[in-house]
Amino acid sequence: MAAAESDRTTVLRGHVAEAAAELRARGLGLELDQDPTAIDRWLDLRAVELMRSCTIPLEYVDEPIVAGPYTYDMTSCLEHVVTIEELSYGDTGFMLACPGPLMSGVTVGALGDTSQRKGYYERVAGREPTWTFFGLTEPRKGSAATELEATLVPEGDGYRLSGTKRYVGNAAFAQLGVVFCRRAPGPLGIEAVLLDTDEPGFNAEPIPTVGLRGARISHITLDDVRVEPEQILGFKTLKSTRRGLVGAIRTLQRFRPVLTGTALGLARAVLDHVQEQRPGITGTDRLRLEELRDRVAAVRQRNYQVASAIDAGRVRADHIAGVKTRAAELAEGCTLLAADLLGPGSLVTDPWLNKAYRDARAFEFMEGTGHIQRLAVFQGVYKGTFLKD
Amino acid sequence: MTTLKPPAPAAVTGLPEFAALLDGCHEEAAPGALVVSRGGHTVASALRLRTGVPVPGSSGTLAVASGGPPSAGRELVAFADRLVRLHRAAVHAVLDQAVTRLGERTSEGTSLLNRQLVQGSVADVALALSETQDLLALPSLTAAGLRRAHADLVRAGRTVLKLYGAHSLTSEGPGPVLYVAELLGNTYLHLGSEWGDTGDGSS
Repeated sequence: MAAAESDRTTVLRGHVAEAAAELRARGLGLELDQDPTAIDRWLDLRAVELMRSCTIPLEYVDEPIVAGPYTYDMTSCLEHVVTIEELSYGDTGFMLACPGPLMSGVTVGALGDTSQRKGYYERVAGREPTWTFFGLTEPRKGSAATELEATLVPEGDGYRLSGTKRYVGNAAFAQLGVVFCRRAPGPLGIEAVLLDTDEPGFNAEPIPTVGLRGARISHITLDDVRVEPEQILGFKTLKSTRRGLVGAIRTLQRFRPVLTGTALGLARAVLDHVQEQRPGITGTDRLRLEELRDRVAAVRQRNYQVASAIDAGRVRADHIAGVKTRAAELAEGCTLLAADLLGPGSLVTDPWLNKAYRDARAFEFMEGTGHIQRLAVFQGVYKGTFLKD
Repeated sequence: MTTLKPPAPAAVTGLPEFAALLDGCHEEAAPGALVVSRGGHTVASALRLRTGVPVPGSSGTLAVASGGPPSAGRELVAFADRLVRLHRAAVHAVLDQAVTRLGERTSEGTSLLNRQLVQGSVADVALALSETQDLLALPSLTAAGLRRAHADLVRAGRTVLKLYGAHSLTSEGPGPVLYVAELLGNTYLHLGSEWGDTGDGSS
């Protein structure tokens, strides 16, 4: 794998891997599993620094990430994927609990005008750690962007926003984020609104989960939140056909390889954990471990190709769906294998494994369920594109 | 193998109910005691196992204790049989709830139950449940057969959870019950647990 990787990417990988190793060495994943607010005690770590600036363009960052001869802002999809994969290897939940742009930054970058981008990036890159959220999913509707029901109602020279969002990472702890809502009927009536969580009428509560507690998924209630036109991303500069729905689709497509990297980081960590616990593994057990190592390596390589294609302007929804689906299933498969290979009672005697086992279940539905991804793969097969490089 | 009536799916509505049914499995397999795995671990409700530590992800309803002498082979096999039946009831309950839930949800003007991928998943889980039921009815089912049945139920459970999306990961959703069922299998039915076909009541 390294042979096909540019020096710039290899240097970045090594730099991030060092930050990720600190998470594992300190056992911070388990700490956040017990108490997801524990992230507040670790904001000086390099992993947090990476997440805070990840995808913020260099012109907004006072102290950019420098490694070797290179400077990074991770606006490249490939470099974003590598960064997130390595941090997820350190701990997925910790990485997701960090302040920074995460998904909302991609939406602002895709839709925001100069003023909106400047305001957003300067705030997220500022001295104070800023958590953000990406509010698309709704109760009973999932992440079907065209069917969302949160509504913008005109009021004077602005709007009022009402509705609910569910399963939104970090929303209960965030200072700002993006909410997708409906200004008018139909797919062209969807908007993306940049929202401050201090606004009257905004309320978010964490949802207790059995796994990936660091993601701090939350339920948002929007009760007549005042929205000015300048909060609607691209309102002054983009036609309605290029705004809300386009932003949702572009963000999800840009982020799916990143989510794939997240799943693969956890999968690699689990397989390495098995190797550490059973250094002398032999026979059929070793073959089973090697099989999953091969599968992880294969989809990892494919994911880098998909991310590189996105950087080159070739966004292939079927390929993106393919890697996401494979990685999500592999992450679960790796934890099931680990529980098997590490012996009876391993899920009650090995806290790290137990946590990974619970965490891995989240990838199936994050950034679109396996069913949704399969439909995209089918479309690729039907069009003759999926099995073509 | 003699067994009592397996739990009804409708009885497995959440972690507290599952924990109570698990305690019942212990009582049926080892009256007045708790069954200790070959590895020396005991998992039961936190109410029943007051000396244990909470099982992560069980919201404090289950506890685990380690270091005890393993139970006799006959008790282990009897307990394994009941665990698989409890696991099956849990998957069945989650499937029933999924069908109800999906029937109440619409997308693009039609019920989610009209989607063929959804129908296929429901059918796959139902087929697994049917096969497990038939396997458990075999008078010759061995301990190894119980382990295979557990593995089948793990796969079926993971398939049905996919019908719930993110709700499957929430503490109030169906995920925790199936997670603890998997954990119990890892503790008591593991391939490496060497409790094997003891010939003392496993068939």
